[in-house]
Amino acid sequence: MSYARDVYILAQWEFGRFVKWKDQLISLALFLLVSGVWAGAALVAGASGRTVTIALAGIELHAPADGRFQFVPAARDDRQGTGALRRGDVQGALSRRADGAFELLVTKDPRYRSELAVLLDEVVRRERLEASGVSPQTLQRILAPVAVDVRFTNPVRERQGRSEKIAAGVCIGVMLIAVFIALANLLTGITGEKQLRVTESVVSAISPQAWIDGKVCGITATALVSVGNLIVGMAIIAAAAQFASGFAWPAAALRPGVILTLVVYTVLGLLLWNAFFAAVAATVSDVYTSSRSSLLFLPLVPVVLSIAVLRDPDAPVARILALFPLTSSPALPMRLVLSDPGLVEVGCSLALLLGAVWVMCLMAGRIFELGILMYGKEPTLPEMIRWATDRQGR
Amino acid sequence: MDGAFLRAHGVSKRFSGHVAAERLSFEVRRGEVFALLGPNGAGKTTTVRMLVGIIRPDEGRIEVLAEGAARDRLRPDRTGYLPEDRGLYQEIPILRSLVYFGRLRGLDGREAGRRACGWLERMSLLDRKNDRLDALSKGNQQRVQFIGALLHRPALAILDEPFSGLDPLSQEFFLDLVRDLRNAGTTILLSSHQMDLVERVADRVLLLNHGREVLSGSIGELHGRLDGRPRLRVTLERAADAGVLRADDDVEDVAGDGPDLRVTLRAGARTPQFLARLVTRVPLTAIGTDAPRLHDVFIRAVRDDEARIAGRTS
Repeated sequence: MSYARDVYILAQWEFGRFVKWKDQLISLALFLLVSGVWAGAALVAGASGRTVTIALAGIELHAPADGRFQFVPAARDDRQGTGALRRGDVQGALSRRADGAFELLVTKDPRYRSELAVLLDEVVRRERLEASGVSPQTLQRILAPVAVDVRFTNPVRERQGRSEKIAAGVCIGVMLIAVFIALANLLTGITGEKQLRVTESVVSAISPQAWIDGKVCGITATALVSVGNLIVGMAIIAAAAQFASGFAWPAAALRPGVILTLVVYTVLGLLLWNAFFAAVAATVSDVYTSSRSSLLFLPLVPVVLSIAVLRDPDAPVARILALFPLTSSPALPMRLVLSDPGLVEVGCSLALLLGAVWVMCLMAGRIFELGILMYGKEPTLPEMIRWATDRQGR
Repeated sequence: MDGAFLRAHGVSKRFSGHVAAERLSFEVRRGEVFALLGPNGAGKTTTVRMLVGIIRPDEGRIEVLAEGAARDRLRPDRTGYLPEDRGLYQEIPILRSLVYFGRLRGLDGREAGRRACGWLERMSLLDRKNDRLDALSKGNQQRVQFIGALLHRPALAILDEPFSGLDPLSQEFFLDLVRDLRNAGTTILLSSHQMDLVERVADRVLLLNHGREVLSGSIGELHGRLDGRPRLRVTLERAADAGVLRADDDVEDVAGDGPDLRVTLRAGARTPQFLARLVTRVPLTAIGTDAPRLHDVFIRAVRDDEARIAGRTS
C-alpha cells in the first residue's frame, strides 16, 4: 500500500464525511432566492415608481429628458393641485410662494426630494442669471460642464476603484471563511476522532504522516467546495446588484491570471493553515476545555494585517505581507487586484508558501505521531517543538 | 504450526521514567493463539502497540518473519488490529465505516463491501448495515469493531483485551470466533487479564507483571508449575468455618468467598489424610478435586516475582 493511496483514501473519507451536497444545494437556493427577491423588488419599483408626476400650481417648469419627472399644470378648478393629489393622479403638487421659495404638497414622504431640489436649484439659478442680463450664448457657456480627465502616473492605480477594493476585500473574506470552515471540520475530524478512539485503529493501518496529510487534503477540499459554493452565491447576488442598483463588476478582479492566482493561493493558504491546526488539534483532547482554544483566532491576524494592503497596495508593508507565507494567501491576490506585483514577487511568494506548506505538513505529522495517543494531558509548547524536531520518534 | 511469525528481541519502553515494558523477548508462531496475560498496568497494551508499530521500542527490536524476508514492521494488509481503546465513527453508517477500514487495509471498495456484508450476516447484523453505529447495543458495536479488524482476512490478528466489557454469551461467541480464526490458519495474538477465558483458547502465553516477563510457555507447561500442590473444591455448610480450613497446617491457600472455596495444599501434603481430618472438624456439603487454573499459576508466579524483587532491594 502506497503513501499516495493512503492519503487519497483518507482525503476521500474526510471529504465524504463533511461535504453534505444537500446542504450546499440549499445554500445555493437561498442565494438564488435572496437575489431573485432583490431583483424582483427593483423591477417592481422601477415599473411603478420610476417617473414622478407633479402638478405645477401657477409655475412653469420643463421636465428633464431622463423621464424621472413629469410636470402637469394644475386644473383651473384645482389651482393648488390638491384634488389631483388626493385622487392619486400626481405624487406631489408644487407651488411657489411670494418670497420665491417652492412648496411641495405631498401625501407621503417624497423620496425624490433631493432630485427635485437639484432641478429647482438649476431653474432658480437660470432665472437669476437671466435677470442679470447675460446673453443666452454667454449663459450657455457659463453653464457648460467642465471636463475633468483623470490620468494616473502609474496606470495600475487606475484599478483602485470602489469595485476593485470590494473584490480585494472579497479575497480576504474568502480566505477567512475557508479557514474557519476547515477549522471546524479539522477539530471534528481530529479531536473528535481522538475522543471516539478511532485513531489507533487508523494509525495501525497507515503511517501518521499519511493520516495527517490525508486529513489536511480532504478538509481543504471540503472547505474549497463550501467557498466555491459561496463564491457562486455571491456572484448571483452581484448579478442581482447589477440589475437592481447598477453595480459594476470589477474588471481587474475578473482577469484570468488574478482568478488563477486567487485559486492557487486559497488552496495553498488553506493547506498551510490546516496543517498548522491539524498539529494543534492532535495535541488537544477536548477543544472546549483546552487552553489552546485561543489559537483558533490566529487566522484573524493575517486578515487584520492585510487591511494594510487595501489602504496602500504598494507600501513596503504590503509587499512584505505578500511574501510572508502566513499572510501571503490573502495579501498577494489583493495586490494583484489592486496593483501589479510582477512575476518575480509572485514567484518568490509562491515558492515561500509552497515551502511553508511542506514544512508545516511534516511538522504536523511528527507532532501528530507523538501526540495522537495522548489522552487527557496536553503537551507543552517545548514538548511539541521537541516532537516536531525529534528524529527518534515515538 | 510451523516456525515463527514474529519475534520480539529484548524490547523495552519507558514513559516519563515509568517502565512499561522491560526487555521482553518472545516469539509468536504461525497458526497459534498466543496470549499476553497480566493485570492492568502489566504492559500488555504497550507491548501490543510496539508490535503493531504505533509506538517504537526504546530498546530491542521486532522481527517479522512471516513473509519470508525479515522485516521490522508488520504489513498493514496482513495484520488485523483490535485496539483496547476501540472505537468507530458513531454517526456514520456501519457498512460505510467498515468499507473505509477495509480500504485502509488494502482492499478495494467493492470487495470490502462484499466481505463486510458477509461478516454482518454472520453476526446477524446485515439488516442494520445502514444504521449509525450508536444505534446498536454495546455488544453489537463490539461485533462491528471485530469485523473492522478482520475484514481483510489478516494473517495475524492482534486483539487487545477482546473479551473485556462483554456479557457471558458474547464472550462465548468471541471465543468461538477466535477458535474459528485459528482453525482457518490465522495467527492470533491476544492480550487479556481474563485468564479463565484465555486458557480456553490460547496455545501459549506470556505472563507479564510491571512490564516484565513472569512466566511463559504452553498452557500445559504452565499448569505443570502447580504440580505437587493438590487443589480441592470444597463447599462448607457454614461459610464461617472457612477459618478452620485456613488454620490447617497442610493448607497453603484458600480462595473464594462464602461457602464455595478453592483450597490449595502445600507441596507434599497428603490429600486423603487432609480430607479425613477435615470431615471430622467441619460440616461439608460437597468436596472434589480442582483442575489447575492459569489464575493460580499467575498469582503464584507474581508473588514469587515480587518476593524476589523485595529480597533484591532489601
